[in-house]
Amino acid sequence: MSKTIIKIALYLNGSKRYKETKNLFFNLLYNSNYIYKRYFDIFMITLILLSVGILVYEVKNPVPQWVDDFDVYMVTSIFSLEYLLRLWVYNDLHRMVIKEYNESIFLNRSFQIKIPLKAFFMGKFSYITSPSAIVDLLAILPAYRPLRVLRIFVLFRIFKLLRYTKSIHQFIEVFATKRFELVTLLFLLFFIVITAGVAIYVFEEKANNNINSLFDAIYWALITISSVGYGDISPVTPAGRVVSMLIIISGIAMISFVTSVIVSAFSEKLSELKEGRIVEEINKNENFIIICGYGQMSRMFLREGGILSATYVIIEKDKNRVEMGIKEGYNIIQDDASRHDVISKFNISNAKITLLALTGSDINNIYITLNAKSLSKNIKVIVRATNDRMGKKAILAGADNVVLPNITANKILLFAITQPAIYRAIYDIMTGQHLAHLDEIPTLYYYKLVGKKLKTIDFKRYQLLFIGFECAKRKKFIFNPSLELEIAKGDILLIMGRRVSIEYFKQLHEEVSI
Amino acid sequence: MSNKQRAFLFGYSKRSKFLIEELKKKSFLLSVIASSKEAYNQAKEDGHIDILQLDITDDEALERLNVSEDDYLVSLLEDNHFNVFLTLSLHSLFPKNKIIALSDSSHTTQKLKMAGATKVIDIYQVSANRIHNILHKPLATKVIEKLFSPDTTFSLREITISSSSPLQNKMVDDINFFKYGIILIGMIDRQLSQQFIFITSGLEHELNYNDVMVCIGYDKDLDRFEADNQ
Repeated sequence: MSKTIIKIALYLNGSKRYKETKNLFFNLLYNSNYIYKRYFDIFMITLILLSVGILVYEVKNPVPQWVDDFDVYMVTSIFSLEYLLRLWVYNDLHRMVIKEYNESIFLNRSFQIKIPLKAFFMGKFSYITSPSAIVDLLAILPAYRPLRVLRIFVLFRIFKLLRYTKSIHQFIEVFATKRFELVTLLFLLFFIVITAGVAIYVFEEKANNNINSLFDAIYWALITISSVGYGDISPVTPAGRVVSMLIIISGIAMISFVTSVIVSAFSEKLSELKEGRIVEEINKNENFIIICGYGQMSRMFLREGGILSATYVIIEKDKNRVEMGIKEGYNIIQDDASRHDVISKFNISNAKITLLALTGSDINNIYITLNAKSLSKNIKVIVRATNDRMGKKAILAGADNVVLPNITANKILLFAITQPAIYRAIYDIMTGQHLAHLDEIPTLYYYKLVGKKLKTIDFKRYQLLFIGFECAKRKKFIFNPSLELEIAKGDILLIMGRRVSIEYFKQLHEEVSI
Repeated sequence: MSNKQRAFLFGYSKRSKFLIEELKKKSFLLSVIASSKEAYNQAKEDGHIDILQLDITDDEALERLNVSEDDYLVSLLEDNHFNVFLTLSLHSLFPKNKIIALSDSSHTTQKLKMAGATKVIDIYQVSANRIHNILHKPLATKVIEKLFSPDTTFSLREITISSSSPLQNKMVDDINFFKYGIILIGMIDRQLSQQFIFITSGLEHELNYNDVMVCIGYDKDLDRFEADNQ
């Protein structure tokens, strides 16, 4: 028996399809960075709204049978399936079995299935008893028609929305940050209401026909303190009116206090919420850039390339710089990019990320590089360094490329003095300006070029200069090749000219290879 | 390159050290002007002899520098305000000289140009463009790096038309650069202006004495072209 269980566990552990399936459902249900989760959430929200709509409409109006069937069978089945899937992905029995099996071999003791089974069921039980799982389960109940009272559980379908709408979730989080203040106020409210209720009961129980019990008195106190004042119960004795005045004054104070607590909670959390949104938005992309440090270098980078706002995020420690960045309209968050948890907020496992370490400090840039590379080797890191030595250290830390702004600028300065004639050419080529814009034409996207001989393409007509091409077959760049050469699939042409000429040339030859 | 060419470097800092070393290698006559006592002492400590300390806001002191018309004036002060002010002072005192300045933002670049700088090099512009190239144009990045790397045989070269050059009075389009395996990327056509013109501008050019062609290619091919046409 044990052997069969271990075999099954090992099979599941080695099964790629099983892992992929479970991962897919996990991502759909829990991973907010997963691109398709958004669609799943929208689908579930629609389903919830439809079912709530049907249940509410049904209270006073007859609904067609097919609508009822849709609610009973379709919606409930999907909710039930979702509940079961969440339960399934919560933990893995096969992992626990393998762990126990390995431990039993290591400790030279017999394999005991009850240990992993216990851990497995405990895990499932802890999930089942979690508030969100209880809400999920109760949200299924309104479909049970014989018991109409169960329809009240339609409320749980509305609570279920919490799972899929982040803003409500964030709203609750904001309240949670002021839990202490709010709980203190609640106790104070409770104290005042009880005291005033007891006082009015003692003073008016005999004199006031509307106060017949302590409950009536407490009800009056709560209605008065909240400044609602229905008017169904009002004090008739001088003592009762004094209590009223005191409770009204304390009510005003409490409402002001609660308002200020909530407002301050929101203002404190506002920037965090905004930053959370920026991270969430950027994580929706398959490719994006994280720019560490907001200074002249980052500004220049953003200005130069026309980077789309959805594809980058700046992380800056300094508050003043962050404020400046926000004023200038950039996606910027205040945080320390050298911290593990800051970079791990991004969709490292699924997205192609390029990190630019552009702070003014070599030490910070190298630390940021190490931090990013320790999280994932797949993050491409480009580092700014002040000199060659620092550049070498950055490479040792794992940087893929290094830029040396001071050294490069000095080299160009040297050209400006020693070789003034070519200075303009060098500066324009290196900054990609004016007529010296270097660009690549990958034939995979400009397929019309494939099969043509170089001599048949009149680059001059387009005011372009053909520099050379990367031969896909030889995996080598060939400078100024023979014009008899034929362009093959996968080759990349390198041309120079005005941006407008290049764009026109690309437009004429655009065709994607299938 | 004439070994009598002279450059005045205003400001002594990390920025200027590299330039001083490289210009010395190219036999430039150098005068380094430190704007503070600390910078002056540091330069002395670093072994620089031809160094002066003066108040760069004092026009009379600047006039006493004995600047001739061919000298380069290089403004490398770390403070942008001083850099712009110095450029303006130099331009008003020595209007015929070439003034070169370093800038660290597009706003400063604009101000330096308005103040009279002939050439302004933005420290971050080249690097920012390099990052874009790394991200989007790996092939262009590779070629540019190869072109400006000191350890390469592939380079940009300026070729001046000598008085005996057979290229004189020829149209650029009539010259077979391909035969030599080189590419002409632009030139200074003295008849038109003193400015460098990229070949992609589409203008037709006739080569004359003292015009400068800028070609790209392997050193051996550029040498062969020069040898055949001088």
